Amino acid sequence: MSTILLEVATPDKGDVYKNGINMLITRSIVGELGILPKHARLLTELVPHAMRIKEGGSEKQLFISGGFMEVTPDKITILADAAENPEDIDVERAKSAYKRAEERLSKKNPDIDIDRAEAALARAKARLLVKGVPIP
Amino acid sequence: MANLQHIRRRIKSVKNIQKITNAMDMIARSRFNAARDALLDNLPYVDKTKEIMRRVMMQMRGREYEHPFVMTRDELIANQQQADGKFLFIVIASDKGLAGSFSSNVFKEAHDTIEYDGTSESTSLDDDGDDENFHKKNFDALKSVKPMPTRTQKQQRQMSATGGVAKASAHRGGGTGSGNLEVAREYHDANYIDGIELITVGRKATTHFQQRGYNVIKSYHGISERPQYKYAKEIADLVLERFASGEIIDVTLIYTQFKSAISCVPDDVTLLPIITDDYAKSGANLKEEYIYEPDVVTILDKFLPRRLSTRIYGAMLHSAASELSSRMNAMSNATDNAQELVGRLNLFYNKVRQAGITNEINEIVGGANALE
Repeated sequence: MSTILLEVATPDKGDVYKNGINMLITRSIVGELGILPKHARLLTELVPHAMRIKEGGSEKQLFISGGFMEVTPDKITILADAAENPEDIDVERAKSAYKRAEERLSKKNPDIDIDRAEAALARAKARLLVKGVPIP
Repeated sequence: MANLQHIRRRIKSVKNIQKITNAMDMIARSRFNAARDALLDNLPYVDKTKEIMRRVMMQMRGREYEHPFVMTRDELIANQQQADGKFLFIVIASDKGLAGSFSSNVFKEAHDTIEYDGTSESTSLDDDGDDENFHKKNFDALKSVKPMPTRTQKQQRQMSATGGVAKASAHRGGGTGSGNLEVAREYHDANYIDGIELITVGRKATTHFQQRGYNVIKSYHGISERPQYKYAKEIADLVLERFASGEIIDVTLIYTQFKSAISCVPDDVTLLPIITDDYAKSGANLKEEYIYEPDVVTILDKFLPRRLSTRIYGAMLHSAASELSSRMNAMSNATDNAQELVGRLNLFYNKVRQAGITNEINEIVGGANALE
């Protein structure tokens, strides 16, 4: 099976992921994208989500907190604000972040920044999803 | 003849200084390790952003596409004919001294770029060809439309860059900010100072340029050794705002690039505008076009500001690592020198002591001889 190189870089942790993979399923601001080897050139923005990486028959998840993705026929480059492997995720922190964001959104206080709270909610949700923890 | 007690005291004070420089060396060393790790972790991200940027811009060339940050040089000239924008420079140096020639190297590079007037060949004009100082090109292009102030002779300006101003203001009896500005206006053209704005990072940079009468619109202190992304973002936002409103037409970043622990070179990079002409020569033509999801304007609207703030953040990290490695080198040199000085003083001390003893023996022998 042919492979495509996937590189995920973040500003403060260097290359989080660098490997040849078979397929990448990711979510951009317009919707889900499945990237296979020899994909056309593409540039898009990603939303916070749990990215699925198919590699040698197994599937792996990686948390992405938004960023940009460039696809060329032999390489996918993801510039993420933050990216975490499942083993690096702090479940308690994600849970409390989830609760906090939900409270903020439910209050409908005009002072709060809805966009920011929604982004925080999406990040917490994606983190929990990657970790396989049921969302409260 | 030198007094024994004096020499002893001197040896002691040199030893004390040596202790201090040694301690500073060790502090700089441990901070440097942290700064270097931060830089190395940031490098892949910055490099990849740059690569993507280059590919996108190469493709952008010749295409009909309107984005305020992306233009051809002809458009730049056309814009300038309507509005009179300023040049903005971001200078990143250190908060503290005792780092050898770290700060002065940055300032030299900064003056070289800031005071460029199209007449002098510059050393840093042709670094790598693709890298990335287009300020001088922009300046040359704009010279024809913008009535560039007729500047004073190069030599005089250089004097002002290297302390002539400070001397002049001392002559006037104390340099308050406004006094300095006046003096600077005598040396430069008033128009010239007015056409330039600076953002400085590091206390040294701020005082250096304020003393020389430049218009420092914003300065950041206390972050030079440990940069944080939010400050880079703040600078980027400020720059974008001023650029979008047309107040500035050209943004150049001057910082120290960290190459290795013994080699740090000042570097300047033009951040805005992004001139597509300059990407034309770099590399092969791209035949395939990008697909932009959802569309090119939306993506670039988000991507370009991000690229700007990562670039500034990267430069801050480079500068921090450079500053600490310069301080490390300077302090370990100082420690070595102190060691040598102590050795020499010890030798001198022993000589003086021996001379004293010989003298006393001579006197005793002389006295005994006189009694016979």
